[in-house]
Amino acid sequence: MKNLIIKEIRLAIHPTNILFLLLSSMLLIPNYPYYVVFFYTTLGIFFMCLNGRENHDIEYSLQLPVRKAQLVYARILYSTILEVLQFVIAIPFAILRAKLIPAGNDVGMDANIALFGLSLLMMGLFNALFFPRYYQDPSKIGGAFVVGSVAVFLFISIAETLTHTAPFFRNQLDTPDPAFLSTKLAVLAVGILAFSALTYWAAHRSARRFIQLDL
Amino acid sequence: MNVLSVEGLEKRYPAFELKNISFSVRDGEIMGFIGRNGAGKTTTLKSLLNFVHPDSGLIQFFGLPFLENELAIKQRIGFVSGGVDYYMRSKLHTITAATRRFYSSWDDAAYHKYLKTFELDENKTPSQLSAGMKVKYSLALALSHHAEFLMMDEPTSGLDPVSRSELLDIFLALAKDGVSILFSTHITSDLDNCADRITYIRAGEIVASEELDTFTERYRLVSYTSEQVTSSLRPLLIGEKTAKHGYTALLKTEDLPLVSIATTPADLETIMVHLEKEMAL
Repeated sequence: MKNLIIKEIRLAIHPTNILFLLLSSMLLIPNYPYYVVFFYTTLGIFFMCLNGRENHDIEYSLQLPVRKAQLVYARILYSTILEVLQFVIAIPFAILRAKLIPAGNDVGMDANIALFGLSLLMMGLFNALFFPRYYQDPSKIGGAFVVGSVAVFLFISIAETLTHTAPFFRNQLDTPDPAFLSTKLAVLAVGILAFSALTYWAAHRSARRFIQLDL
Repeated sequence: MNVLSVEGLEKRYPAFELKNISFSVRDGEIMGFIGRNGAGKTTTLKSLLNFVHPDSGLIQFFGLPFLENELAIKQRIGFVSGGVDYYMRSKLHTITAATRRFYSSWDDAAYHKYLKTFELDENKTPSQLSAGMKVKYSLALALSHHAEFLMMDEPTSGLDPVSRSELLDIFLALAKDGVSILFSTHITSDLDNCADRITYIRAGEIVASEELDTFTERYRLVSYTSEQVTSSLRPLLIGEKTAKHGYTALLKTEDLPLVSIATTPADLETIMVHLEKEMAL
């Protein structure tokens, strides 16, 4: 697995994978739908898979002494590392924003702990929808990304609407930290669990589908 | 010992079928896998490595069933799919650095030796290599992990005659060093001076799998005009083709005593062209 991850970094990586990580700094924008920051990670993953198709990554990788399922697990693990990095890099910017701009985010959710929890849930949903569809037929990556990104934007629309309309979101989640800390930590915990479970499920379903595929 | 044995391999697609494919490659031999475009060569090779899932059949490398020993077998073989067509804009040294880690027997000295022999520049990208050089780079990768058996899918397609001949010389030298080779081609003249045995596939079925000489000695080529065709000759002609001055066809060597017409030896290409013609009739 380590060799495959190194192969992903040496060969499969797309420049946007690194570039989009820097977009975690968008949490410094005073008013912005911050969930969108995490959409960029999914876009980078899409570019990487697209790049892989153009570069015959799967054909190259299958010649190596690896099993088909390992290719899937390595790609999803590498993507998960990118997703987690996006969150980790976002943390200092969220803290910095709170210090520099005490006013809340007029557009949607504040850059707080609950945003991270809900965004993790969103990324989990993306992984669960994108990867199994992608590995059903890696040549038709566009369809998989349409499904994944439509889900992400639906999630953003619903979450931001709730931020303005639902009292629980408006009054408890969309508040500066550390207000309602335990509630927000609970949302974060749910997000971490959902992200882990959905990604784990996505990896196994993707591997099962890819193993069945005639290449 | 067989480095590869395939028994009863079958794969059904809606519009194509591999039917009861059986053949074997012996240790240290060069086997040509021939057939026209679409005959099933690539599907067969892909089935051997489970890129395509066979519906049935037993595939063994070095006497070991592939599915149960996939990783160990892949360490010992090299699969060259028509030269490098992956990561066309990455430098060769980057591709090598990613690749070498997967092989426990990777030999850096051998790799550099092959780079030098094949005149490969590691700072180039595959997109900067000619078709022949791409195949050579694939070979360098395979040989640097001391692959004992090379499977190549149309390695000579798209090469000029000089590059093809050069590559065939390399195959011969490798075979002398004990490397077994199975390579598919539709350019049958590649095999005349290089293959020990051939496996001939047509429309998903193996037509012959035997010594090259045994196969070519089964047939003779006959050139004739319509006036020369007697009623006793007619049923013996195989795959009649129009030629510049009359017709050509094959005759089975065993039928020679039955006819009085002059014949010449038939090479692999001539045999394949006439057999394909006959089977299409």
